[in-house]
Amino acid sequence: MPAPVAVVGGGTFGRGLAKALARTGRDVIVWSRTRRDSVDEHVHTTNDLAHVRDATLVFVAIPSARAPDVVPPLGDHLDGSHLLVHVSRGLVGDDLRTLTRYLRDETPCRRVGALAGPLVAQALADGTPGGAIVGTLFPEVSEAVREALAGPALRVYSTDDVIGVEVGSALVGLLALGLGFAQGIGMGPSTLAVFLTRGVAEVARIGVSLGAREKTFMGLAGTGDLLAAVAGDGRPEIELGRALARGMPVDEAVRTAGANIEGISLARRVAVYAARQKIDAPVCQITAEVLDGKVTPADAIATLMARRVTSE
Amino acid sequence: MSLLKGAPFRLPRLKPYVPDPGDPPIFWFNGEREDVIRDVTRRAVEKHGIDRAHFEYVLNELAYNEVRRLETQRGDEAREQLPFWRGLVRRIARMSDEEKRATLRTLAERMARDVAGNFDPRVYRIAIRMVPRVLSGVMSPRSLPMQAIAPNVGKLDELVRCEGTTEKLRKLAKIGTLVFVPTHVSNLDSVVLGYVLEREGLPPVVYGAGKNLFSNPVMSFFMHNLGAYRVDRRIKATLYKDVLKSYAGVMVERGYHSLFFPGGTRSRSGLIERHLKLGLAGSAVEAFARNQVRGQKRPILFVPTTINYALVLEAETLVEDWLKEAGKARYIIEDDESTRYERWLDFLRRISGMEGACTIRFGEPLDPFGNEVDDDGRSLTPHGKPIDPATYVSRGGKPIVDTARDVAYTTALGEKLPERYLRETVLMSTQLVAHVLFRKLVRATPSIDLFGRIRHRGDVAMLREDLVRSVGEARDRLLALESDGVLRVSRILRAEPPDRIVERALDVWNGYHAKTAAKESALEITIEEPELLLYYQNRLVPFATRIASEADASAAREIARIGGS
Repeated sequence: MPAPVAVVGGGTFGRGLAKALARTGRDVIVWSRTRRDSVDEHVHTTNDLAHVRDATLVFVAIPSARAPDVVPPLGDHLDGSHLLVHVSRGLVGDDLRTLTRYLRDETPCRRVGALAGPLVAQALADGTPGGAIVGTLFPEVSEAVREALAGPALRVYSTDDVIGVEVGSALVGLLALGLGFAQGIGMGPSTLAVFLTRGVAEVARIGVSLGAREKTFMGLAGTGDLLAAVAGDGRPEIELGRALARGMPVDEAVRTAGANIEGISLARRVAVYAARQKIDAPVCQITAEVLDGKVTPADAIATLMARRVTSE
Repeated sequence: MSLLKGAPFRLPRLKPYVPDPGDPPIFWFNGEREDVIRDVTRRAVEKHGIDRAHFEYVLNELAYNEVRRLETQRGDEAREQLPFWRGLVRRIARMSDEEKRATLRTLAERMARDVAGNFDPRVYRIAIRMVPRVLSGVMSPRSLPMQAIAPNVGKLDELVRCEGTTEKLRKLAKIGTLVFVPTHVSNLDSVVLGYVLEREGLPPVVYGAGKNLFSNPVMSFFMHNLGAYRVDRRIKATLYKDVLKSYAGVMVERGYHSLFFPGGTRSRSGLIERHLKLGLAGSAVEAFARNQVRGQKRPILFVPTTINYALVLEAETLVEDWLKEAGKARYIIEDDESTRYERWLDFLRRISGMEGACTIRFGEPLDPFGNEVDDDGRSLTPHGKPIDPATYVSRGGKPIVDTARDVAYTTALGEKLPERYLRETVLMSTQLVAHVLFRKLVRATPSIDLFGRIRHRGDVAMLREDLVRSVGEARDRLLALESDGVLRVSRILRAEPPDRIVERALDVWNGYHAKTAAKESALEITIEEPELLLYYQNRLVPFATRIASEADASAAREIARIGGS
């Protein structure tokens, strides 16, 4: 009997992940601050972090903003043998620290990784065919994720460009938000295409400055993830963007989207970081300004379109 | 046929040396030497598994590399060895699998023998009596005759300072195996570090030294007999690298305290090392796993160490090399300042005028997974709870050796060490003065790049009072950062008034470097050689924005980008 798998975080994504894990017949321990009902006979819910210790592979599915409350106490129950994989689309602090880095700093675990790509809670729960990517330096981490999660319905790729996967995942979240917004104000396919291709190029520049490889952004963690958003995989960032486009105030729009969205706090930090590093990042900059209410949506698009056109 | 020419001289021994139980592990080395060579050979060969095609590849690659190296190198070594390698190239295709394996083993063993060090306690005892006197004698030549008679080494104690976790390391050296991983700026590093280890009651270490350092017979005699092993950077073959890695690993596994420069070569730019590949130091991570599998629980502890000079012997060549971006290609600088004897003398004479010319700082020791340890060598979690390091190399509760995993741990450690370097770097007065002057240059030459700037010789000046005031302000900010634990500041930088700091810096540069870094007149200081200032100030790059005033903020941001992010 293989060791159980744990999921820390009982939000929409955490529960979807637990369901996908349970499908392979493994026991799944789901930790959630507020105890919830089990979604499956193999899924055991708990509000005691100590129970996570029984698993070897632990998924961390909490918003990065909550990491300081959850991760250090979680670390007290783990040791060097645990494999820790997070699914967050967030980056920590003004220097955009990745979450794997945070996990290494705050827990005794070193064998860490990030799971990213076109993954949405509902598709995971339903077992809709799809793919994902694990960023980790440790082959045994990607093997464990594959073993726990992969099957006929999910292809799990891997890369050792951990930073690329994490930055890609976080910034694609940001682009998806902008995309929803642009769709919401009625932009046509060509405008969207320009927005997205320039957006990915920009994200790649930021990623490279943080130590990522450019190529990673062309894969599942970047373009792949974004294509799924464009195709309408029902991701909350798009919903949020559309709600904002309708003129809804930010906090109300967040409630409408119904999930924790990292993009909002991230946009401003990315914009500041890019300016400090002298990285050309108009898409992130404008997104941050729109979210802050500094420019109107129409002005934002006009600003972007009025930029001098150079070689690609 | 011998792979190595001119084996270093060893003293004859009539009866075997029996170490005292209290002696450091290295005293036992000679008894284990043959064993070590056998282990290393076996491991280097085993690494290539049993795949026939792969065996042939390794042999071919070795022969091809050696032929190419010897053909370009020429000389006696080439004349003697080329026929062997050329013959091998021809024979490989006809060899049976058994012959291939046997040849590989023979060659690996020959390499291991060439690499392996020696340790002669007699030489060690001579050295520890002699080195301080010679070093301090050379550092202040006028007092040489007196120094030679009186074993008074007080002077050198002042010149080379040691701080940090020394006390803890003394205790840990008895419980675990210490792996020193210092920053690297000068060829003097290993000598100074070796001296400090002995002076502070820390055990001697084994380390790989470039074969070029063995070319001087006197140096070679000492290095070889003090346990240094030989690294021939000219040999590029995979098998040779495997032998080196195995040697480094086997030594750590057997409990020999070791020294590796994880940056590989001296920092050409003067920047604190940011990206480490670790190289040989990585084998210490695998050594831990191998020991755990055998049930050997002795801790292996990495000691991040910074070696900080107010004046760097080879500064001019190093920075020139960096600017030419030739740093990667030229591993061995054949003719830098450190190979010229009179330059050493001059250098040592010069730093003798400065109190604390070199500061070695030992940081908190870390286990192979980046955890700090307590006084008993037990690993601690980030929140200070003891943790069993064996869990890091275990799967399903059992320790196993997994090369891919250990490579990943090594990469992670390579990210951790530079953070420690930053915290443990001791900033020196010359570096700060250089920084303030260079910042002025950046402000005075807006919107041109580094290469444009270093051509501005003699046309940017700073009023003396401005320089002194700026140095004073930046110093105060450094002190504030020091109290936050961000960095360290040298004793002089902490205690002396800013005008003295400026004076000292100008004095030592101008007296030593062939080029004048900055010229003084009554009222102002003129920047004469921006390259040199750049080199010294590069140590401060990571802190530039945090020690700048409002007016200097923009220049500081530009400086902060030197060397990439």
